[in-house]
Amino acid sequence: MANGTWKIARGKGSAQLPLAIFAILAIGLVVLGKAQSSLFDRAHTLYSDSIAPVLKSVGRPFDGVGNWLSGIDGILDVYQENQRLKQENTRLRQWQSAALVLESRVQRYQLLLNAVPDPSIDAITARVIGRDNRPFLDTLILDAGKSRGIKPGEAVVDARGMIGRVFLAGDHTSWVILLTDLNSRIPVVIEPGNVQAIMAGDNSGAPALEPMAQGAAIKEGGQVVTSGDGGLLPNGLAVGSVVWDGSAFRVALLADAATADDVRIVDLKQPPEQPPAVTPSDLPAAAAGLPPLAHVAATPMTTTAPPQNPLPSSTPPAAQTSVPAAAQHGTAAPAQQPNGDDETDDHADQ
Amino acid sequence: MHDRLGISVSGLFAAGVPFACGLLGVIVANMPVSVLHGLIPPPMFSLMPIYFWCLVRPDLMPPLVAFTLGVLEDFFSGGPPGIWALSFIATYALVDRERDAFAGLSGVGAILGFAAAMLAASVCAYLVAAFVYGRFPPVAPLSIEFAVSVLFYLPVAALLGWIHRRIVGPLRSEF
Repeated sequence: MANGTWKIARGKGSAQLPLAIFAILAIGLVVLGKAQSSLFDRAHTLYSDSIAPVLKSVGRPFDGVGNWLSGIDGILDVYQENQRLKQENTRLRQWQSAALVLESRVQRYQLLLNAVPDPSIDAITARVIGRDNRPFLDTLILDAGKSRGIKPGEAVVDARGMIGRVFLAGDHTSWVILLTDLNSRIPVVIEPGNVQAIMAGDNSGAPALEPMAQGAAIKEGGQVVTSGDGGLLPNGLAVGSVVWDGSAFRVALLADAATADDVRIVDLKQPPEQPPAVTPSDLPAAAAGLPPLAHVAATPMTTTAPPQNPLPSSTPPAAQTSVPAAAQHGTAAPAQQPNGDDETDDHADQ
Repeated sequence: MHDRLGISVSGLFAAGVPFACGLLGVIVANMPVSVLHGLIPPPMFSLMPIYFWCLVRPDLMPPLVAFTLGVLEDFFSGGPPGIWALSFIATYALVDRERDAFAGLSGVGAILGFAAAMLAASVCAYLVAAFVYGRFPPVAPLSIEFAVSVLFYLPVAALLGWIHRRIVGPLRSEF
């Protein structure tokens, strides 16, 4: 009787109308998702925050199994691997001492040149609690979120190099888009040669390289590091090395996201941009040919409000600074430029 | 046991089973736990109940359920919305149109039938993803997912058949 009650007498093709309606709805969803890619973002972070405790406990045995499986092939040639690692360790020690010497030399040069210091970099260590490997998405879920200062866009690295960057940050979890993901595009520099390029993931194991300049000379074996363009990622983060797959240059990544358990989220702290000091000749009074006041003429102006400031007293203090109009209106690109130049110089030094 | 509207409690429960199986498939396939460290993508578990009940009890697997499972698949997989919703609807349309041909398959033929449905879903998802991303994604990950899904359909179909016989009821609707 139950089946009889629920039996729906549908002739062949009777579902055509609902199908058409839901097909239109699905197409609308696709178009809406393309127009507003952050449609599900809030829900995703709530979801990952809520299942984080489950993932921490459930994922651990699976991680163990995965580590064991990924280590099976290594067991067979453990002796050769050990010999190779010893030789590599010796070479790396030589490179380490050379790097230390060069680092101190660069610091001395920077002091001599009064160069703009590199931005400070903080890092937060987090644990990988989830991995999602789908045909159109390659992500990790970390057990650190906004409550620990994680922000979208920050770089994620393991002990070997960059893995990806945070694209969603919940309260207690964050989602990392891997460098291999279809949506990943980061600016990189290829050394030697300081070749600027975009590294674009395509869900294959090795992201593709798209040089910025036509005819750029890329050589196999070149080292790929982040360029820092855009000011979101730090420059100089190790990414991988250039390989040729027969049709295009790709990047063999140093980091292995599949086996990474603990990662660091790099927080690039750009130094606060200081406006250039204002001299008395910049004042409207001086520009108008009037003699400046004595105490103003004696000391260069700082960002504090001068007594002659024509702005009304109700203006907020921040607006009363004598910052050039261009900087106040957010067109401070020229002030940002030296930093970019410095990055280029750093790469040249490397 | 029926109420005044003629709807039985067991009937209500049975009607929810196909959707519940699809929902379980969505959750299991998209649980962000990597058993093999990302070597193999998870099977498309959510499409299996859609295909199965679209053949044997289409009254319990209306387009609304297929669409809802597709939206949930999109949400839980974390990808752009609409890709799997549209793919599931397209696959549903194919199976609904060729139901007689699909329902007549048995044994290896039944597996091939699901392979055809999965192929339709994969091709549709690929084209929609190409539209969303503005470039053609690589075929390899989707091909592996297709192969894994077809392989997993063998045990899952047996399980769905058992659920169908024990809970939903063997009576096929007249279509």
